[in-house]
Order: sequence, then C-alpha cells, then structure tokens
Amino acid sequence: MTVPMKILIADDSRVMRQIVTRTLRQAGYDDHDVIEAADGRQAFDAVVNENPDLVLSDWNMPEMTGIEVLRMLRANGVEVPFGFVTSEGTAEMRNTAEEAGAIFLITKPFTAEAFRDALDPILG
Amino acid sequence: MTAGPILADGDLLAITEQIWASYLDLDGASPFVPLSSAEPALDVHASVSVTGAWRGHILVTCSMGAARNVAGALLGIDLDDVTPEDVSDAVGELANIIGGNVKSLMPEPSALSLPVVLVDGNVGFPSAIEVGSLVGEWLGEPIAVQVLESTAEKDK
Repeated sequence: MTVPMKILIADDSRVMRQIVTRTLRQAGYDDHDVIEAADGRQAFDAVVNENPDLVLSDWNMPEMTGIEVLRMLRANGVEVPFGFVTSEGTAEMRNTAEEAGAIFLITKPFTAEAFRDALDPILG
Repeated sequence: MTAGPILADGDLLAITEQIWASYLDLDGASPFVPLSSAEPALDVHASVSVTGAWRGHILVTCSMGAARNVAGALLGIDLDDVTPEDVSDAVGELANIIGGNVKSLMPEPSALSLPVVLVDGNVGFPSAIEVGSLVGEWLGEPIAVQVLESTAEKDK
C-alpha cells in the first residue's frame, strides 16, 4: 500500500488539468490527492500554502510561467520535486528546466507510459 | 518573412495523429482523416503565435460540431454537458499542443504565446477578463476597443 501523496497540477487550461489527472489515474497513481492551480501565481501560492509532494506544471501560463514559478520556489528555499508537462520539448527548454532544478519534462501529447517513466522514481 | 526550414511533409499529420492517439481516439476507432482538400470550417478558430528565431502563427479552425466533439473527448464528458467555455478551452489547448510541437521543429530560441480563441467571430482569451471597453462609431461604421486582463480561473 503506497502512502498517498499530494500532487499539484498547474495549467491554465482546465481541460489539460483534467487530462493530467486522468492520465495519473491511468498510470496507476489513483491513490494520491490532486490539487490544482490555474496560473503561475496560484501554483506558487499553492506550493507555499499546501506543501505538495510533487508539482506537475505547464510552462506557458498567465501571471508567472512555470519556469518562473520553479525559480522563485528554489530562490525561497522550497525544494519540492517539480516536473514540467508542456507542449514544448526543445533541447533548450529541457536544459533550462534542468538547470532550474526540474526533475523531468513531459511533452504533450503524453501517454500514461510517459507518466510512469517520469513519476515512478518519485511516486512508485 | 523569417528565413528558415519549413515543416517537412507529414510533420503536421504526425503531430496531429499523435494528439488523436493520446487524447481523442484512444481506441483507434475514430482517427483524424486527412483530405487532399476541403473547404475550411470557421465556426471556431484558435491560434498561438511563435516569436524569436522563427516567427509565425499556428491556427486551428473547425466547425462547432468538431469543437464540441474535441471538448467532450478531452474532458471525458457527454456532448450535452459541453459548455461554451469548454469549447474555447479545449480548442485553445489543441492549438497550444500543436503549436508547441511545431515550435519544437523550428529554429531556436523562440517563445510560444498563450492561445487566442474565436467562436462564431467572437474573440475569447482563456483565463482573461474584460477590465475596460469602449464602443463607438466613426464615419457611421462601428469600432470597439477592449482591454482584457489575464486572470486566475475562478471556478474549478
């Protein structure tokens, strides 16, 4: 029995937050609690206030981009595991994400298998 | 016009088929069917822009029926439950995913905009509210100005 974790899904698209939630279930992570943020500012506040165990964040969001959220979290000493789920997967963005402290970058469209590959080391 | 490589034959279809296989046609029963030519349907129009080493726009246009099907499939809900907001969000996200994948094939560095969606000629910016507007006319023809502020989504 796995210990339930709290996962923050940050994406300005409600449709995409729903897809990410559904894919988590399909990948077998259905025992975990999911909380949501609809922009970068909400995501930062949710991490600070709700202390999730993992953040799955879009890159391109209103208020603050995902990379700005990650940098601000790290600048404030918050070391929550943070991964991107984004439609853009260029080498430049992967490098930028890694340098800022992201542990993975999943590109849209994604499959449950892609989620398992990225998340098993953290949630498995 | 920005100089640079153009998309290879089949790139757009490959991206689109991947999206259908991942989100819209999981069992492979109703795939996207490419046609050699077709009259575009313009009920719903979503676009994202790329600026940087490559500059351009990626547009998705479709009928309202197609847009509602996309929204229903992405959200996993019945068509009867699909709202106008769902349509705007879903087709905007479709443009965002295709746009992000196209951007990845183009010269770097560049930045992708948030999606802009038009439904029946009405512009819609997901996650934005009107904070100012002005309507008037000049020489008997209507002109309108709107200021939209990006905002957090209020409802979940």
